Amino acid sequence: MKFEIPQKEYMYPGHVACPGCGGAYSMRMALKALGERTIIVIPACCWSIIDGPFPLHACKPPVFHTAFETAAIAASGIKAGLDIQGKTDITVMSWAGDGGTLDIGIQALSGAAERNDDFIYVCYDNEAYMNTGIQRSSATPWGAWTTTTPAETPKSEPKKNITEIMIAHRIPYAATTTLAYPDDMIRKFKKAKSIKGTKFIHIFAPCPTGWKMAPDLMVKICRLAVDSNVFPLYECEYGIHYTINHIPKKPIPVEEYLKPQGRFSHLTKAMIEHIQKSVNFEWELLKQRAGVS
Amino acid sequence: MKWLDFETIPKVILEREPDYPPWAVSLTNTLVNRTGSWRIFRPKYFDKTPPCNDACPAHEKIQGYMELVKQKKFLEGYELIIEDNPFPSITGRVCFHPCEASCNRGEYDESLGIHNVERFLGDYGLKRAKAKKSAAHISKQIAIIGSGPAGLTCAYYLAKSGYKVIVYEHFSLPGGMLRVGIPAYRLPKDILNKEIRKLEVLGVKFKTNFTLGKDIFLDDLKQTNDAVFIATGAHKSRNLGVPEEKTRGVYSGLEFLAQINSGKRPRIGKEILVIGGGNTAVDAARSALRLGILPKILYRRTRHEMPAVAEEVQEAENEGIPIHFLVAPVKVIKSKGRITRLECQKMKLGKPDESGRRRPVPIKGSNFRIKCDSVICAIGEQIDLSVLTDDIATTGWSISADDWGRTNLPNIFAGGDCVTGPKMVVDAIAAGKRTALAIDSYFTSREIKEEPNPEITLFSNLNIGYFELAQKVTMPGLNVKERKRNFREVHLGYNELMVYKEADRCFSCGVCNKCDNCFVFCPDLAVMKSDDKYDFDYDYCKGCGVCAYECPRNAISMEEEEAR
Ligand SMILES: Cc1cc2nc3c(=O)[nH]c(=O)nc-3n(C[C@H](O)[C@H](O)[C@H](O)COP(=O)(O)OP(=O)(O)OC[C@H]3O[C@@H](n4cnc5c(N)ncnc54)[C@H](O)[C@@H]3O)c2cc1C
Ligand SMILES: Cc1ncc(C[n+]2csc(CCOP(=O)(O)OP(=O)(O)O)c2C)c(N)n1
Ligand SMILES: [Mg+2]
Repeated sequence: MKFEIPQKEYMYPGHVACPGCGGAYSMRMALKALGERTIIVIPACCWSIIDGPFPLHACKPPVFHTAFETAAIAASGIKAGLDIQGKTDITVMSWAGDGGTLDIGIQALSGAAERNDDFIYVCYDNEAYMNTGIQRSSATPWGAWTTTTPAETPKSEPKKNITEIMIAHRIPYAATTTLAYPDDMIRKFKKAKSIKGTKFIHIFAPCPTGWKMAPDLMVKICRLAVDSNVFPLYECEYGIHYTINHIPKKPIPVEEYLKPQGRFSHLTKAMIEHIQKSVNFEWELLKQRAGVS
Repeated sequence: MKWLDFETIPKVILEREPDYPPWAVSLTNTLVNRTGSWRIFRPKYFDKTPPCNDACPAHEKIQGYMELVKQKKFLEGYELIIEDNPFPSITGRVCFHPCEASCNRGEYDESLGIHNVERFLGDYGLKRAKAKKSAAHISKQIAIIGSGPAGLTCAYYLAKSGYKVIVYEHFSLPGGMLRVGIPAYRLPKDILNKEIRKLEVLGVKFKTNFTLGKDIFLDDLKQTNDAVFIATGAHKSRNLGVPEEKTRGVYSGLEFLAQINSGKRPRIGKEILVIGGGNTAVDAARSALRLGILPKILYRRTRHEMPAVAEEVQEAENEGIPIHFLVAPVKVIKSKGRITRLECQKMKLGKPDESGRRRPVPIKGSNFRIKCDSVICAIGEQIDLSVLTDDIATTGWSISADDWGRTNLPNIFAGGDCVTGPKMVVDAIAAGKRTALAIDSYFTSREIKEEPNPEITLFSNLNIGYFELAQKVTMPGLNVKERKRNFREVHLGYNELMVYKEADRCFSCGVCNKCDNCFVFCPDLAVMKSDDKYDFDYDYCKGCGVCAYECPRNAISMEEEEAR
């Protein structure tokens, strides 16, 4: 088996992501799919650092750094500006973390989606505020350790389901993807590029530093997340047409996904069981939506 | 309280508008950031040995030819095999394929049908490869005694390197056990003939009907040749060692097979007992069946200890031959000079013997008799040491030689069954090849190339997520009915489609096959890809190790950086 991905690179090495950064890898793949004629909008998050300190810059297309809560509205504005100039062949992509998407940026994002502004919104989800020191976000899963949800009192709220929130906006395209499936990722970005309107892509992007995990497991942990149904790969068009892209023949127990990560090392058997139950529940729900039995 | 007097602040007068934009813009890239300095571990491309290559006594580059088959480069695949084993059409049919037992795929779904692919490539090469012509340009002559797989292999590699080679053979045709032992339904004679023909084209001279110790003598050969390779095998049938065994109706398995293999139809009874559990016993029984007689096999241990090739035992049973385990003969009962019954004893398994197999121990008072009119005795072969000169060191039952065929005398070499005792074809081939290297080294003082890299890729070293379940392609063959009363080949071989499909199952353990994973998954753009290889860009590689982990086949190693 060989992954067929575009060979050309639209990023330079020398960026300052940690070793094994899922976010850095995801940008590399996204740009392979979108190409040079792209403008990237990055709010406060790890990626505002990864791209390099002034006057350096790792992405070949231009990056517009913006305030934490404004990833979507800045993209709307840039798109409008381009339209006025008659530059219609440029893809505008917001690239925000989970904090910048599920928490502080959700208002701007919801607004843009309601207007169906023509841009791709990407949430690279590392399940916490990594850039400021691993604080919990509403994307942090139930039971996880972060610096603000210590092991003694780990996070007691479940992860917010941002993809379903976006689907509920009835935008033309929403999809989940992750690193272990580069062909899936490339395909979804290409598809998003070809559609007019608001497109939302949710990337499960591991952070070895914040997850207390060996960096070489960057890809493996994504495979485990998908194979255990913790993070199913699916897409939805116009808020109605669901397609599940990968149905594990036999889902692996969530424990296998949790085990390599230090942020879950305090979990008790009962807690793991609870996670398994909620994963099963969500998976059944998704299958119902997609009409798969 | 003091108020700031705006009027007194000096005005900055700009001569022109600044040409920088109203906010900071990065105009240069990150290539100046040599993030390689962060690295603690360094990835390195480093091919390991696949377990199949390691398990093959001849160290065939199995993974290598599987890759070639995947690219439909059949001729190249053939050429790669014959670097290590000149006779893939033979081993592809009769080898006991220890490679398959060690195949990592075995722990996943089912091991690869390596010998089926080998057989295809061998037959393909026999048909299509351009014969290598005589190349003798070295003025050294080597005499080889015995034309079994050991002698033939040594002759092949010596002739290929340019030596003059003469092979002496006791029988009227070369081939050793391949001709006189292994029956045609497993190894058709025309395949054997074609394989041997390769040597003749290479310039090897065969002198058949020459017996060492009768027509030729070691002392003379030593004088007239620069080196001698003894590869006389093990051809003396071991006796039953029971009273009255010299009775009419008791035959030697080897002789029985030799007759059948020379096209004769030995006269034999109707109720046949075959004694033994090795290849000779199983082949004798299956040959008898093809003459229209249903024999019984008696073996003193259990299936697990049988030295015969396991698949052949299975085939014998498929053909309906009963095998009685834990039974040993104790006495021949005769009437009017001919055997009528065999008295046997029941056995049980005791402690392991020197071969590691559990020793059969008789159960007292368990004797019983089986009616029969013939017994084929196939309990093992021994080495005939009487043809040697006294100055050659022996172990008492075999010739003493090291792994490279070197005996105690500098220009005398020995290998194959006559050194190891009865083993397998591929062991003899390995011995022949190694001895050819040793003989060459004896003349040229060239260093003998060592064995493959000892670091072997095991199942646990693979990233199994990248492989999909795939059923082994079944080998087409004759059904049991079609095998009756003829010696037609039982297995018919893969076609191009099948061989391609089967080779495609190969994991390529330990060896990079350019799957691109390291390039694809690098988050730091530090894998440089060119047409024929990958390189790490150590200026930027941060040493995260993702490439090594995601390599499906363990072809990347992580090494600790040296502190500087
Ligand atoms: C019936 C049978 C079935 C077998 N089946 C298999 C199988 O399926 N798979 C497998 O891997 N192995 C099998 N084997 C084992 C395999 O055939 C032997 O291990 C192998 O042939 C040994 O090779 P060799 O070159 O050392 O000796 P041999 O093949 O025995 O060749 C020795 C040659 O030396 C000649 N010779 C002996 N003495 C003299 C002399 N004094 N002067 C001149 N020439 C002499 C002999 O005539 C013979 O041609 C089988 C063996 C037998 C007997
Ligand atoms: C309004 C505002 N509040 C807080 C911050 C500080 N801040 C910068 S990055 C960041 C965390 C971002 O987390 P997330 O969006 O998940 O991205 P990550 O760093 O995890 O990639 C925070 C809180 C800010 N820059 N602006
Ligand atoms: Mg985050």
